[in-house]
Amino acid sequence: MSHFLDRLTHFSAPKESFSGEHGIATGEDRSWEDAYRDRWAHDKIVRSTHGVNCTGSCSWKIYVKGGIVTWETQQTDYPRTRWDMPNHEPRGCARGASYSWYLYSANRVKYPMVRGRLLKTWREARLKHGPVEAWASIVEDDAKRRDYQQVRGLGGFVRSSWDEVNELVAAANVYTIKKHGPDRIIGFSPIPAMSMVSYAAGSRYLSLIGGVCMSFYDWYCDLPPSSPQIWGEQTDVPESADWYNSTYIIAWGSNVPQTRTPDAHFFTEVRYKGAKTVAVTPDYAEISKLADLWLHPKQGTDAALAMAMGHVILNEFYFKRRSEYFDDYARRYTDLPMLVQLKEHTLPDGRTVLVPDRYVRASDFNGKLGQANNPEWKTVAYDEGGRVVLPNGAIGFRWGPDGRADAGQWNLEAKEARHGGDVKLKLSALEGDNSPVEYVQVAFPYFGGTEHEHFQNSPQAGGDVLLRTVPVQRIALGKAGDKRDTLVATVFDLQVANYGVGRGLPNDTGATGYDDDTPYTPAWQERITGVPRDQVITVARQFADNADKTRGKSMVIIGAAMNHWYHCDMNYRGIINMLMMCGCIGQSGGGWAHYVGQEKLRPQTGWTALAFALDWIRPPRQQNSTSFFYAHTDQWRYEKLGVEEVLSPLADPAQWQGSMIDYNVRAERMGWLPSAPQLKTNPLQVVRDASAAGVDPKDYAVGALKNGTLELSCEDPDAPQNWPRNMFVWRSNILGSSGKGHEYFLKHLLGTSNGVQGKDLGVDDAKPAEVRWHEHAPEGKLDLLVTLDFRMSTTCMYSDIVLPTATWYEKNDLNTSDMHPFIHPLSTAVDPAWQSRSDWDIYKGFAKKFSEVCVGHLGVERELVLTPLMHDSPAELAQPFGVADWKRGECDLIPGKTAPQMTVVERDYPNVYKRFTAVGPLMSKVGNGGKGIAWNTQDEVRQLGELNGLVTEEGVTKGMPRIDSDIDACEVVMMLAPETNGQVAVKAWKALGKQTGREHEHLAIYREDEKIRFRDIQAQPRKIISSPTWSGLESEKVSYNAGYTNVHELIPWRTLTGRQQFYQDHPWMRAFGEGFVSYRPPVDLKTTGEIAGIKPNGNPEIQLNFITPHQKWGIHSTYSDNLHMLTLNRGGPVIWLSEDDAKRAGIVDNDWVELFNVNGAITARAVVSQRVNPGMVLMYHAQEKIINTPGSEITGARGGIHNSVTRIVLKPTHMIGGYAQLSYGFNYYGTIGTNRDEFVVVRKMKRVDWLDGEAATDTAHA
Amino acid sequence: MFSPPKMTHTLRACALLIGYPDAGLRGLLPQIAQAVRDEAALSASRLAELDALIDLLQRQDAIEAEAAYVELFDRGRSTSLHLFEHVHGDSRDRGPAMIDLAQTYEKAGLHLGPAELPDYLPVVLEFASTQPPKEARAFLAEMTHILNALFTALVKRESRYASVIGALIELAGERAQAVKIADDEALDDSWAEPEAFGGCSTQGQARPGTHQPVTRPVHIVRKTPVTQGAQS
Repeated sequence: MSHFLDRLTHFSAPKESFSGEHGIATGEDRSWEDAYRDRWAHDKIVRSTHGVNCTGSCSWKIYVKGGIVTWETQQTDYPRTRWDMPNHEPRGCARGASYSWYLYSANRVKYPMVRGRLLKTWREARLKHGPVEAWASIVEDDAKRRDYQQVRGLGGFVRSSWDEVNELVAAANVYTIKKHGPDRIIGFSPIPAMSMVSYAAGSRYLSLIGGVCMSFYDWYCDLPPSSPQIWGEQTDVPESADWYNSTYIIAWGSNVPQTRTPDAHFFTEVRYKGAKTVAVTPDYAEISKLADLWLHPKQGTDAALAMAMGHVILNEFYFKRRSEYFDDYARRYTDLPMLVQLKEHTLPDGRTVLVPDRYVRASDFNGKLGQANNPEWKTVAYDEGGRVVLPNGAIGFRWGPDGRADAGQWNLEAKEARHGGDVKLKLSALEGDNSPVEYVQVAFPYFGGTEHEHFQNSPQAGGDVLLRTVPVQRIALGKAGDKRDTLVATVFDLQVANYGVGRGLPNDTGATGYDDDTPYTPAWQERITGVPRDQVITVARQFADNADKTRGKSMVIIGAAMNHWYHCDMNYRGIINMLMMCGCIGQSGGGWAHYVGQEKLRPQTGWTALAFALDWIRPPRQQNSTSFFYAHTDQWRYEKLGVEEVLSPLADPAQWQGSMIDYNVRAERMGWLPSAPQLKTNPLQVVRDASAAGVDPKDYAVGALKNGTLELSCEDPDAPQNWPRNMFVWRSNILGSSGKGHEYFLKHLLGTSNGVQGKDLGVDDAKPAEVRWHEHAPEGKLDLLVTLDFRMSTTCMYSDIVLPTATWYEKNDLNTSDMHPFIHPLSTAVDPAWQSRSDWDIYKGFAKKFSEVCVGHLGVERELVLTPLMHDSPAELAQPFGVADWKRGECDLIPGKTAPQMTVVERDYPNVYKRFTAVGPLMSKVGNGGKGIAWNTQDEVRQLGELNGLVTEEGVTKGMPRIDSDIDACEVVMMLAPETNGQVAVKAWKALGKQTGREHEHLAIYREDEKIRFRDIQAQPRKIISSPTWSGLESEKVSYNAGYTNVHELIPWRTLTGRQQFYQDHPWMRAFGEGFVSYRPPVDLKTTGEIAGIKPNGNPEIQLNFITPHQKWGIHSTYSDNLHMLTLNRGGPVIWLSEDDAKRAGIVDNDWVELFNVNGAITARAVVSQRVNPGMVLMYHAQEKIINTPGSEITGARGGIHNSVTRIVLKPTHMIGGYAQLSYGFNYYGTIGTNRDEFVVVRKMKRVDWLDGEAATDTAHA
Repeated sequence: MFSPPKMTHTLRACALLIGYPDAGLRGLLPQIAQAVRDEAALSASRLAELDALIDLLQRQDAIEAEAAYVELFDRGRSTSLHLFEHVHGDSRDRGPAMIDLAQTYEKAGLHLGPAELPDYLPVVLEFASTQPPKEARAFLAEMTHILNALFTALVKRESRYASVIGALIELAGERAQAVKIADDEALDDSWAEPEAFGGCSTQGQARPGTHQPVTRPVHIVRKTPVTQGAQS
């Protein structure tokens, strides 16, 4: 029978399949799609971005309908790149795409909030007193003060009004200035590049009243001190587009696809072009999957791997054959040809050997090589004929009076400075056949034999000293009649010996082959890193061979993970040395791509004027946070790392006594590092006392410091006179994220409940030689903690006042990044919701109220400001030889030379508001500048007046350009900065030309007429204009790459030699064993011994290295409280560990575990993964402890944040100052917050207690 | 035909009563009590309850009252006074829903100021107070399921504020009753991954063939503080 009766003719079935049942046509209701369609029905699209310090700096479209932000999508209108390169877009990631959630979330801070107990006391006091007296009545009564301090973090907020909080804050500030001094008011806000005006709002207010801006780059440990050491540059890196110009990329500890999401496409695209990629990372991170090769050294041993690669490169490209390109580069751009004097040293066994001392200087020669200007700061080399020559470019040429004989010789031309003739420098004593060469044994410190409970060492026959054969020459130094014969060697010859490369010299102790187990061969590193030697050889060879063939197009993308180890400088210098040996620095497609925070504030010199109120008062107060928090959260009282543990075996321990904080105190005293607070006496009072005595305040201070009537605060951080009293936090979650030693912050700075397990050492163990020990450490140093945020973060929970700030879609601001060359805005898509205000308006409000409240208490006041010997200023030439401390009688106290600079400044307190809102007179009078160059800005100030309007109100600012709104503030930045104003760029290049004696204007002249305004960047991101503030160029020919202008424009690096330095000759660098690079194993912080097994819960305890990389589901702590991102992760704090370790500890995936040590405890879920290597536990930072965090079995309180188990440890080499590139600069050099050497006890939890019972009361933990 | 009592003042009084108990509001409390009694839109027992709340607010230490309010309403979701928090939670439907509501106000000739979102309960009540009694009651009735949830959450916390919500439910012509709210779901269950390809969650869509979220009746998403976002 036919089937026709089975079929319908007029109807079809409601559901019909096609493509072999793979598809099905249905006719069901699709009205649910309307929700999606409706989203597109917007009134307007506004350009903004996310100020979250992710470096993405992605431009976004914000969709607004009916005054409500509905959602956001990625902008796709970046200016195009060059024809042969992929474009930047799309930029953005899942985190940014979920941001609009925050605007209307229940977690938004909607009203000004004050801790109830404080507000109650305040209102009562205000009934009886004026504002300042009311504040005095609270903080001078210890019971009232402790009443609200001890419940910090425990809820109990009430709403207040802007008027009320402004008055309270102003009163606290006025009282603090009057009673203790303005430098007791501190502000912490990080990474200005992500929202420059918001940062500047607070820092401008603080700078006007004399408060202190705290550093962040060093504190976050994103600052690699190796960069200032080698280049005199904070950090400068290629833009991500330049990855596409590379042909060999090593991603070393940088998880590009996860942490540089919007940039990762360049990494992928360049592989299609044929570039080879290598990943070096201990765990099987996402980058491992993306690369051609994956090396996985044990965490913390990267320097050993880098040393072995350097060994291969030196051997194969400098000796087996000489790469012409490398050879030329090394002579012209590095310190390898420079001469170092050697001095005798007696080993413990009685043998006498030689050790590298300092660079030979012009001043060492009879007649100082004819140099009248700074001969102590000019280094020398041999030319091919074996004559000592004085090449151009050393830092001594940089500074001096106008019209000096050596003006214009600060450049890298291959010239002899004395007669201007061409010169080719000798790399090795063995080149040519002129003066006689001797072969001597030079001692280098060896740290690879150090025993460590958790890291494999490699003991060598020589113990902790390596003797290497070095060719040296003898020269006569010293004045006529005082001649001394000195042995000298080139840095190159010393460096080759240090790397253990055998050259077949007489008695050569270097390696004879890669299989020798001698430092630093590929075979030697195997035991330490676990990486097979042939892999090391292969990668090193390919890396160098590629650089040789492409003239430097080998690149290392490096992540701050490796910078977070105590001996980070060895990791970094090991890698940077490879790049310098291969001529990769300053070449497009090559170089050091260190990506960390969003550190590149491109219009920097326009911004500093606004941000630090340089238009009104100079200098501002700036403090390095690491040293500050070490002292003021009393972490120094718990220090267990002895100085002798990090000292070089070639240093005399007798000369290096004391504890870490002693070294910091000396550094502050000698003008190396800044101090906050500075003097135990109120600096207003110091000036008053000087006036009363009829003495100049500086002379008065010098005398009083010498006779002891005036004390430096750093010598007694626990004395109440020296406590920081008021603290502002904005754009930051310092207590929920970056606060290393979190529990110490809670205990000592805030004075509230905390999880500190260890006891402080007591005076006998701590043995501070320079610091007064108080038997009882203070708890609750801060009178007032004020936080501005849009979300209720952990820091907000601990604050006394929480202020609702505008979100990134509710304010106008500027944003730049190191990852791309564009400047683009944050814009007000909608007005700030509820009672929130932009940071600019909030600080403007403080300024206004302050100006009113201070009347009768503070008028026009003069005070004394101490600043360190600053980098990029003539003061960096303060201390050429040796280290001398005036307090120990080793030298006289001379401000600006042997001690901090001293400046008397005038503060007009009743006019703080007027000054805040107008461009002050110093811009026209003194001009502007940065990084050691200065230019006139009168035209720009006039044009700002025309653009923003002039102040018409009577008073001190009448007739000055206005800065009323946040857009006005943006225009100030962009008008004054060379990067956004072509005329300023040309002026800046001209100013640099005066120092270098070369013409640089051609780099900006073609954009001279360009002035980028706020409305321009709202229309489209704009490419910045090349400026001498940075070492790379923006043009149609090259992508931005660091060091490009040093190499191609012959601008010296801002170092002692003017060149990239393999060698560090400062006495402290040598004493701590870091003259040359080496491998140094992690330090033992001794944090688990006292607590392991002490509070058993029946489950096994294991000890693991604690690693805290960046996450996929948040940027720092932001987004970690966002439901969308929580949903993608596990919805709360997690840690990752290996299957092996999990098995040892009886942990299975998703178990609740606790991580603890003497510093505190963390509770989290366990992710058991093959990705993680045994021996380490990984906790992505930063997960808010206010989200799904149960109570700790160790502390009894809620589990902490990742920094609950860390504590700051300082390193003396990071304190050096007054010495060329090793001089202080804000966020440029200084101690850093390392935390990777930390170990924790990991244990499965027995009882998970949510502490919910207390949730409704005001005693609930944050 | 049944016509509901005039309730303008009662609605505005309720809007004020669930507002922040600052000094300004506390000063108005006697007048509020009087106005509600005068309008007599509520039953005697409800009036007594409201009086008890007013009495408490007057007696309580000011800062304590404010801190309790912040703890109750300013943090977390289960007692949020933003109604869509209960309906749309964190989903992206919340934006369009707010726009809809704002347009409802605009169609009625009322322009909502920038200080608050359209779904804030006092805003909703103020709008209702401008409508004729019948429309006002109908408008309130549309949201009784949300009010009931809020009522229950407040009762669970033994808060006197429950009486205001109870009063509103009564004005809507319904009976305030505690809805059954399941105990907090165990953390693991609440975070369990949806079955692969079994449909997406957070109310964006359901799997084909089942009721789609937009067309199904609005339901209250009970999320406990423990299971999402910031903990209250």
